[in-house]
Amino acid sequence: MQNHKDILSDKSKNDKSKDKSVLVIGGGVGGIRAALDLAESRRNVILIDKSYSIGGLMTQLDRTFPTNNCDLCTVSPHLSETTRQLHLDLQPMTQLVELTGEAGNFIATLVTEPRYIDIEKCTACGECHKHFPDAVRFTPGLDPRAPTCMRYPQATPYSFSIDMEKITDIKALQKVCRADAINAYDTPKKTRVELASVVLSVGAQLFDPAVLDNFGGGQFDNVMTGLEYERIMSASGPFQGDLVRVSDKKRPKKVAWIQCVGSRGINKADVPYCSGVCCMYALKEAIVTKERFAENIETTIFYMDMRTYGKDYELYFNRAKNDYDIRMVRSRPHSIIEDSKTKNLSITYALEEEALQKTEEFDMVVLSTGFRIPETTLDLANRLGLELNSHHFARTDHFNPVKTSKPGIYACGVIESPKDIPETIVQASAAASMAAVHLPVVIDSSGAPEIFIPERDISGEKSRIGVFVCDCGFEIGGLIKVDKLIEFAKNRKDVVVSQAVGYGCSRDSMEIIEGLIKTHNLNRVVIGGCSPRTHETKFQDLLRRAGLNKYLVEIVNLRDQDTWAHIGQPKESQDKAFKLLHAGISGVRKSRPLIDQTLPMNQNALVLGGGVTGMTAALQLANQDIKVYLVERGPVLGGLAMSIQKTIEGDDVGPFMDKLVEIVLAHKNIQVLTKSIIVDHSGIPGRFKTGIQTGIRMNYMQLSHGVTILATGALPNRPDSYGLGTHVNITTQLELDAMIEDAPEKIKTMNHVVMIQCVGSREPGNPNCSRICCQTSIKNALRIKAINPDAQIFILYRDIRTYGFYEDYYMEARKKDVKFIRFSLDNKPIVRVENDQVSVFVDDIILGRKIQIQTDYLALSTGMIADDETTEDLSMMFHLPRTADHYFLEDHVKLRPVDMSVRGFFIAGTNHSPRTIRESITQALAAAGRAQTLLAKKEIELGAAIAKVDGSKCAACLICVRSCPFSIPFINEDGYSQIDPAKCHGCGVCAADCPAKAIQLLAYEDDQILAKLDGLFGELN
Amino acid sequence: MITAEQKPLNEILDYISPYDRIILVGCNECVTVCAAGGRKEVGLLASALHLNFLKHGRTVEIKEITLERQCDPEYAEELVSEIDRTDAILSMACGCGVQTIAARYNEKPVFPAVNTKFMGASVSQGIWEEKCQGCGDCLLGITGGICPVARCSKHLLNGPCGGTSKGMCEIAPDVDCAWCLIWERLKALGMEKRYEEIMEAKDFRAAGGGGPRRIIRKDLSL
Amino acid sequence: MKIFEPEIVAFCCHYCAYTAADMAGSKRISYPANVKIIRVPCTGKVDAIHIMKAFEKGADGVYVAGCLQGDCHFKNGNTRAKYRVEQVQIILGDLGWEKQRVAMINMSAGMGERFARTALEFTQTIKQLGPSPIKITHTDINQQAIRF
Repeated sequence: MQNHKDILSDKSKNDKSKDKSVLVIGGGVGGIRAALDLAESRRNVILIDKSYSIGGLMTQLDRTFPTNNCDLCTVSPHLSETTRQLHLDLQPMTQLVELTGEAGNFIATLVTEPRYIDIEKCTACGECHKHFPDAVRFTPGLDPRAPTCMRYPQATPYSFSIDMEKITDIKALQKVCRADAINAYDTPKKTRVELASVVLSVGAQLFDPAVLDNFGGGQFDNVMTGLEYERIMSASGPFQGDLVRVSDKKRPKKVAWIQCVGSRGINKADVPYCSGVCCMYALKEAIVTKERFAENIETTIFYMDMRTYGKDYELYFNRAKNDYDIRMVRSRPHSIIEDSKTKNLSITYALEEEALQKTEEFDMVVLSTGFRIPETTLDLANRLGLELNSHHFARTDHFNPVKTSKPGIYACGVIESPKDIPETIVQASAAASMAAVHLPVVIDSSGAPEIFIPERDISGEKSRIGVFVCDCGFEIGGLIKVDKLIEFAKNRKDVVVSQAVGYGCSRDSMEIIEGLIKTHNLNRVVIGGCSPRTHETKFQDLLRRAGLNKYLVEIVNLRDQDTWAHIGQPKESQDKAFKLLHAGISGVRKSRPLIDQTLPMNQNALVLGGGVTGMTAALQLANQDIKVYLVERGPVLGGLAMSIQKTIEGDDVGPFMDKLVEIVLAHKNIQVLTKSIIVDHSGIPGRFKTGIQTGIRMNYMQLSHGVTILATGALPNRPDSYGLGTHVNITTQLELDAMIEDAPEKIKTMNHVVMIQCVGSREPGNPNCSRICCQTSIKNALRIKAINPDAQIFILYRDIRTYGFYEDYYMEARKKDVKFIRFSLDNKPIVRVENDQVSVFVDDIILGRKIQIQTDYLALSTGMIADDETTEDLSMMFHLPRTADHYFLEDHVKLRPVDMSVRGFFIAGTNHSPRTIRESITQALAAAGRAQTLLAKKEIELGAAIAKVDGSKCAACLICVRSCPFSIPFINEDGYSQIDPAKCHGCGVCAADCPAKAIQLLAYEDDQILAKLDGLFGELN
Repeated sequence: MITAEQKPLNEILDYISPYDRIILVGCNECVTVCAAGGRKEVGLLASALHLNFLKHGRTVEIKEITLERQCDPEYAEELVSEIDRTDAILSMACGCGVQTIAARYNEKPVFPAVNTKFMGASVSQGIWEEKCQGCGDCLLGITGGICPVARCSKHLLNGPCGGTSKGMCEIAPDVDCAWCLIWERLKALGMEKRYEEIMEAKDFRAAGGGGPRRIIRKDLSL
Repeated sequence: MKIFEPEIVAFCCHYCAYTAADMAGSKRISYPANVKIIRVPCTGKVDAIHIMKAFEKGADGVYVAGCLQGDCHFKNGNTRAKYRVEQVQIILGDLGWEKQRVAMINMSAGMGERFARTALEFTQTIKQLGPSPIKITHTDINQQAIRF
């Protein structure tokens, strides 16, 4: 992390933009991603959050859809990354109070609340919490007494904070803290910083249903919000991850979810928009309930429309219904009544197909509450001078969803509109990319590797080991005898220095160790202290400063895995400490200097696909002086967006596209190659070579590039359903869209228009939702109504999926008397053409009878399908994975939504999954942003923990080739296995499987592991 | 490739239990590829032997050496420096390797640690199947690339027999009927005619019926 | 008579089990000090030989702890590890040892409680089994060179 002083000092007299920063407001998952992207692309960034540690809402979730992963596992790599970034200044408990100036030249005033704890000194030992449990901030949710007082177990920064108002005896508190980290006189700090741009990612709150008297939220023990339910299931939650009722701590047998609580409503305390994530999280909670706790827990979800519109989300929904037997009831219950004795809950609800009300009893009821913008955000928007929309979310550009009304300020995540984690991450990368345009790359940076003194060559030297044991205040030294460990280590072979260090990770101690390494000419170091997970990089940097290779240190985990884990067993922990330390000394002897290999990065980008996504990505990169090859297989740029007239917001697509094409064609950094196809590909991430055949004569050309963005789009679906293609008045929505624009006079003559949804989507063969069709049909219905208010419009649907603010248009359509008739997959409408008359027959579920509509026009919402041929060719060429329905499959559906598993490849637009123009543009900007983070490195870092083959031992048996999870090894021309260090992920599977023992995983070589075992079992005296 | 499989531990222990100093010798060719006797298996077996001896309170010295190819006398020379300090040799190579070592070091007992199985090919990771019996007179050219000698349970030359059912052999439901495969293949190649021709009885002298076989290449002989 | 305190080695993957162990510590959930952890990037790195050598050197029990099935950060390293543990179980069976002396355990990084509970359960299992059959003379063999 960058030193505070560098940024906090008032440098307004110096207007060199290289000294400016980007301010990221809000440290949730979106803010973290934006800040990391900016820092990785070498822009100074300040990440502020009003809370005392970062992580936001996501850290409170138990598991996340659709992978049902443990969130801690997925978010913790992000959080530990934040403390590593050179250009990133993390400022918790900090808020923006004023912003003046304009894009490129903002001045912000920040106020940091006192933490009363010196982060540099705090070791997160928890002593303060033990003695003053009321004085620490608690975990939000059901129970304020969470098992640790950090908000979640992997808090960043790794430190506590004190609530001074609750402390009466400050001296006693200070006494408790053995690290002397309590600063009773801490005061708020006001700082002024120069900014080039701002990223707003403050998220939103979840609706508090306590205001709704009909659901008893906050009043009945066993009624809770989805988030509270997550906390109950969470391993770090109030019941240690056991699913029990709050009232009697018994396992529930029947759990119900009620959707849209406070959302999609017009009643008291409701908001009209759709929160977009609740359907998925309710399904997830129901699945996890079944999966983790008991198959026989009955789970019921009360819903209006099941909105599983994301990538592969429909499959998740189908799994929930079919594999997990989760009961889906389409109804919006009116109220919940609690039995005062049993604390069971009765839900009264009505079904569409029955006139009667039903009452059913449940043990627990979860209210699926959605997002709300809090008052504090309105204030912040005011201070920033931002316009908000009617729902109080940030108003952004229709063709650039991260661009706010104020130049230089970008929004991402839920503050822009309700959305889930992957969409938030995409927007965060997009916002970071936009924000980065306002300032140049930082050329030199303090703490960068190049400032270290050269590494000493230790080859041929006998081991000279230094052992340093940290007492971590009381945390180690108070529980075991550090002096005995020191004495023990001193008598080991090759140990030259053995010494106790107060707080090993404090600056003073680090300097002492550095000095001892130099004066005693040590060549290997063992640190006994806390976990290498949190502190290894810190000590690796220390070795580098002392002129040693960073892989010559071994961290022995004496705290987290010894003294903390065996409370009340001093003898046992002391004995274990000897053994662990011995294993560390024995292991470090076998450590070898390793090289983090690097290669120069090619600075060009290849963008495949000349549609709106490809052009946007190309332009974004080109504007930052990156040379872009834009390869399009067709004769002209434009893609599918060229055939769309208007967006649902009412914007004309044509002029926007014309302008975009014009700018792209004229840009000096973009080379447009139309009528071009990819024919070969080689190289490593950062140094790719791709061969194309281009132009009418199919000339061969080889392009060198460091990154590749795939934006090859999807195809409009055109299934043989409902008489499509048999009658001039049966078309897809695309043709209707064109007709509304080009022939309004025809629209004027129409009395009846029918639209059928989910044509060729959400059914066997193409099980996913095409996402765009609900809003497309509503858009076209509203446009028809505008031209011909008397037209009778019927939209036959299965679920209306107008997520987010699209719900406004759904409501408007209903107000304008567009009729919505629901059908089910097993009872689809029937289309007949007799005497040139198109008729649609459909069972109206509410009327309970079949109706016939003689229609003048039938528009089929056919959605999109993947361009199977293209994605297949490219996936073979580039070794990229695809989904079952032939879209490209990103590296991690939640946390790396535009990165592919092959480094240097990014995806955007509809080759990822169906999406709108606006959403494709966001992804394009995000992919460009992610590409920039790679290109900013200038060098390809290849790491050191990679598999290495000893060719002389290799029997070319192919076992590694077959067992590598990433298909990296191959048998080379010399007849032995070769593993590309740039591609190796470092898991070590090949090394363990190799029958000739020809492969070693560097940093974890067999002799190192065996030496550690030797240490564990060796004689101790 | 020659395939092999480790012998039951008890059998190995019976062989070597009288000795206190053992060389455990692997081979970096076929038995490495079929994961029966390469460096890794040598390490694992050595470890298992140690555990057994330690359990009985014995400390047996086990020297682990893996030769490039045990069936060549030159590679066998690598054991010379160790041979005086050993009581017995345990070989993880195929029968060819074991015999080469036994011939070179005839003063020491040499024991096999693996059963040599068959000439086979890898179907997928961890699975090997018999493909060839070394009959010395290859028929693959007329049987569509599928060997009836190795892959027909009855070694029929004019199959299939009545035991074929839905393309599978009667001996086990997961064994393909080689003759069904041959027929399908010939059909695909448009060579059905060949199937009609009756194959004469095979001369099994070339398969070893005439005693141990030998190949002599005058041009290479020194 | 002295109570038997087993020596137990746990090979833990960096991403899940090792993190879970840290978490158990940070939550001060006690588990037996008999368990000593060796960190590996992925349980897929744990070779059957490493497990065997641990026994050779004197471990009474060895377990491999990785991510939950399907959650491996390297796709399927934990599945590979499971097979190798089964392989060692077969070898131990052939030697007449108890197969329960080696085990595969899965957990996510968040499962500090599970780490502690499984460490306790495994330790209890080994305590019931008693010392490793080689316990009497194991120290002699430490001096032997390890060759591959």
